Amino acid sequence: MNALPDMVWIEARKAVQSRMALWTGFGSLFFPLGIAFLLFVARNPEISQKLGIVSAKANLVAYAAVDWPTYLNMYAQLIGTGGFILFILIVSWVFGREFTDGTVKDWLAVPVARASILLAKMVLVALWAAGLTLVILAAGLVVGSLMALPGGSPALILEKCVPVLVAAGLAILLVLPFAFFASAGRGYLLPIGLAFVTLFAANLAIILGRGEYFPWAVAGLYAQGKTPLGPASYAIVAATFLVGVLATYLWWQTADQK
Amino acid sequence: MSYAIETDGLSKSYGAVEAVEGLSLRVAEGEIYAFLGLNGAGKTTTIRLLLGMIRPSAGSARVLGTKVRMGSTEPWARVGYLVETPHAYPELTVFENLEAARRLHPGTPPAAIGQIIERLALDEYADRRAGTLSQGNAQRLGLAKALLHHPRLLILDEPANGLDPAGIVEIRALLRELTGEQGVTVFMSSHILAEVSRLAGRIGIIHAGRLIKELDIEELERDRRRRLLLGARDLAAARAALVAAGCPAEVTSDGAIELRDPAAISRPDDVAVALVRAGTPPTRLVVEEEDLEQYFLRLVGMNGAGQ
Repeated sequence: MNALPDMVWIEARKAVQSRMALWTGFGSLFFPLGIAFLLFVARNPEISQKLGIVSAKANLVAYAAVDWPTYLNMYAQLIGTGGFILFILIVSWVFGREFTDGTVKDWLAVPVARASILLAKMVLVALWAAGLTLVILAAGLVVGSLMALPGGSPALILEKCVPVLVAAGLAILLVLPFAFFASAGRGYLLPIGLAFVTLFAANLAIILGRGEYFPWAVAGLYAQGKTPLGPASYAIVAATFLVGVLATYLWWQTADQK
Repeated sequence: MSYAIETDGLSKSYGAVEAVEGLSLRVAEGEIYAFLGLNGAGKTTTIRLLLGMIRPSAGSARVLGTKVRMGSTEPWARVGYLVETPHAYPELTVFENLEAARRLHPGTPPAAIGQIIERLALDEYADRRAGTLSQGNAQRLGLAKALLHHPRLLILDEPANGLDPAGIVEIRALLRELTGEQGVTVFMSSHILAEVSRLAGRIGIIHAGRLIKELDIEELERDRRRRLLLGARDLAAARAALVAAGCPAEVTSDGAIELRDPAAISRPDDVAVALVRAGTPPTRLVVEEEDLEQYFLRLVGMNGAGQ
């Protein structure tokens, strides 16, 4: 594991130099800008009429009175689902690109343990996703301030930021197992395709009232804050993360690299 | 004798397809061993087996005295390799790609990057993104990554691919220098016998996953078929005269008389005299040596090329 800092350096260098960093950065700004647009339109009904979104007017009215706690809860929910997809793109790229670019063979017969290389990739994914979360949250706080949302003291705002960060943390733990699908699928397609299937299954689990036992539904339920989550739900998320990481490691140790 | 590479009954099958079958070979330290075969013969599969990238179906391999195991970190600090088409991170520059390769080999000093860039004439491209390199320069970058950490053993899959003639000569000289001056062992695959015969001390020929012949360069010279070709105004009469003189001869499809008798090949002047005496003097007389490609194709059973 002495090589880990060097491996993280390599992964970070590849990410920084790639267009992917820029695109995910832009993608993350869609969250605060989208919410800002929603609130702006809700506060200015005449604009919604001009834009032809009258049918949604009744729903939009509810957003006109959004306060800081509700506003930040919207972020937690968005990170729990939209953030999941954004983070899936990152994990798919970090692992899948080695196959699509044909560079995987360069780190198969080296004096650095594959575990170090895989761990470095996962650390990068976590740091990258955490960084985007902070960008989204910071932009959200700026937007909220500019819109002069009511009902927020600095202490309350800070308190309501915690669930956003926890939702992001859960989402990060839940995307890392997709490193296995990017590896076994040797590219981007399998993890991205399975991510959408997973989201569908998560919604289905919530509808059936069993969301708290389906790991990928837990982040969404946590963000909503309506369903009480017990230790079992968090244990399931932790177990999913550990199984995913272990499966990725075992695959790299044992699978033929043709 | 100590060997850089030893394999015993090394095999790899994919379902019913035997990609490599019962491969047993020894590559001595400090030699250049060329692994020759047609496309799909099993060269790259063998190289992947030697590098622990795939698990053998049977048999085993030892590289620099260490048994090859998938996922192991040994003995790779002392091995440099190039498998199939070299790839690099396209968004990183040549220098950054080499920096990444350096960090994958702990203990390699930063100065090694500048040295290998200079040695492989990549100076001009050091700050260029790898994705914009020509095939030849991408190959040079691949070789630079293989050589960066001063390995004791180089395993190179078609190292001359994509290089122009000057580049091929340059790499040949570099490999000779590494083996001659630093005792580096080179195991290289190729499908071009003429190329490897200029470089290798020993050659292993693989066909349909099996090692069909192993020989050193002197044996190769001895094994190549020679024939005496001659022309005459009346081929039938000339052939009859030669047969009557106890020298078996055939008329080839391209209108020449072919003699494969070693005695005739070593004394073409005697054959000429015999023909003159028979009243059918030769119009052309040439000793032709089977070229390397013909020899190779004959060995792998693709007859016709050697005629």
